[in-house]
Amino acid sequence: MDPKWNEDQPIYRQLRDRVVAMILEDVIGDGDALPSVRNVAAEYRLNPLTVLKGYQELVDEGLVEKKRGRGMFVTDGARKRLMKDERQRFLDKEWPQVVATIERLDLDVAQLLKATNSGKSSTPGDKK
Amino acid sequence: MTSVVSARNVSKHYGDVRAVDDVSFEIEEGCITGLIGPNGAGKTTLLKSILGLTDCKGELSVLGLDPFRQRRELMQKICFIADVAVLPRWIRVHQLLDFVESVHGNFSRQKANELLARTKIPRKAKVRELSKGMVTQLHLSIIIAIDARLLVLDEPTLGLDILFRKEFYSNLLSDYFDEGRTIIITTHQVEEIENLLTDVMFIDNGRIVLDASMEALPGQYIELLANNENAERARQFKPIFERDLFGRKVLTFEGVNREQLDGLGELRTPDIADLFVAKVKGAAA
Repeated sequence: MDPKWNEDQPIYRQLRDRVVAMILEDVIGDGDALPSVRNVAAEYRLNPLTVLKGYQELVDEGLVEKKRGRGMFVTDGARKRLMKDERQRFLDKEWPQVVATIERLDLDVAQLLKATNSGKSSTPGDKK
Repeated sequence: MTSVVSARNVSKHYGDVRAVDDVSFEIEEGCITGLIGPNGAGKTTLLKSILGLTDCKGELSVLGLDPFRQRRELMQKICFIADVAVLPRWIRVHQLLDFVESVHGNFSRQKANELLARTKIPRKAKVRELSKGMVTQLHLSIIIAIDARLLVLDEPTLGLDILFRKEFYSNLLSDYFDEGRTIIITTHQVEEIENLLTDVMFIDNGRIVLDASMEALPGQYIELLANNENAERARQFKPIFERDLFGRKVLTFEGVNREQLDGLGELRTPDIADLFVAKVKGAAA
């Protein structure tokens, strides 16, 4: 499958986001190797420098470390840190909007819980 | 950075036709340069000059050699797939490998065999029995197996279906390219190679109308998507090209600050195909 790159952000940035998503979804865990620059470049037909730049962003953020001659690896605790950041971001940015909507629609906790539970049962196997 | 191709005031005229008209540029080692131009713009003539297949005026140096006068030496260090990539139809695959091995000192038969093993090309088949895609695979396998510093590809994927085209570029990146090698590609399928390039050159009417690194483009060129009213205000910054899109205007700017256009509409970096149209048509208007 080819990824669809959007035009809003440079590709190296989107590549960085993709790796972050992979870490958050636990597709790659602490200590795991990232796919090699050559493989990613070939698979997506990207300039190797673009891939390297995306990986460098992750190195700068401390999420990935370079091991000489062996490639790039997810640092210990990367997922934990990302989760913490993501939770904070959700609470700061998205939650206030959700709360505002809830208040505007005058929904109570019982209704929300009921909707959440029925939503869960209607998508079995969603969470492992 | 080492210069792989260095051109100073290079021209090639056929009678009154200026196929290449006083061009100067440098291509550095480790770059993948896209040479983009309409039919008859002079791309192939320029490539031929670089390969020493035609004489030209001006100073042209490829890997430190004069391509026309030192072609024999140059041919040991470069590779080429022509847009009219022809292999003799009667030759068998293994005979072709024998031949290349005998004429090219830097050819690795082992590597060619490894590459061919990944394809469905039968070793004993004649070229005329292969499909168009297979001939290109065969060509690429031979080219990649040659340890060359510079690879020149003139419309390498012309007439191939989308799967073969993608595979072609994937193989090029996984099996051939590294920072010590340089690739020059021409193609009309610009969107396919756009993300592959480190540098891009536009050629039109024998002249180079753009020569930039892909990294520098977002700083140099901006596209503004605006309604008519805002488009009118944006015209003071002198767009190089304008087109209509679903009742709105798309204006392309060169060397204009992003801040100046802020608030007038959506801003983005033009893709190569749109930028090409802007540069070539904008110049003609």
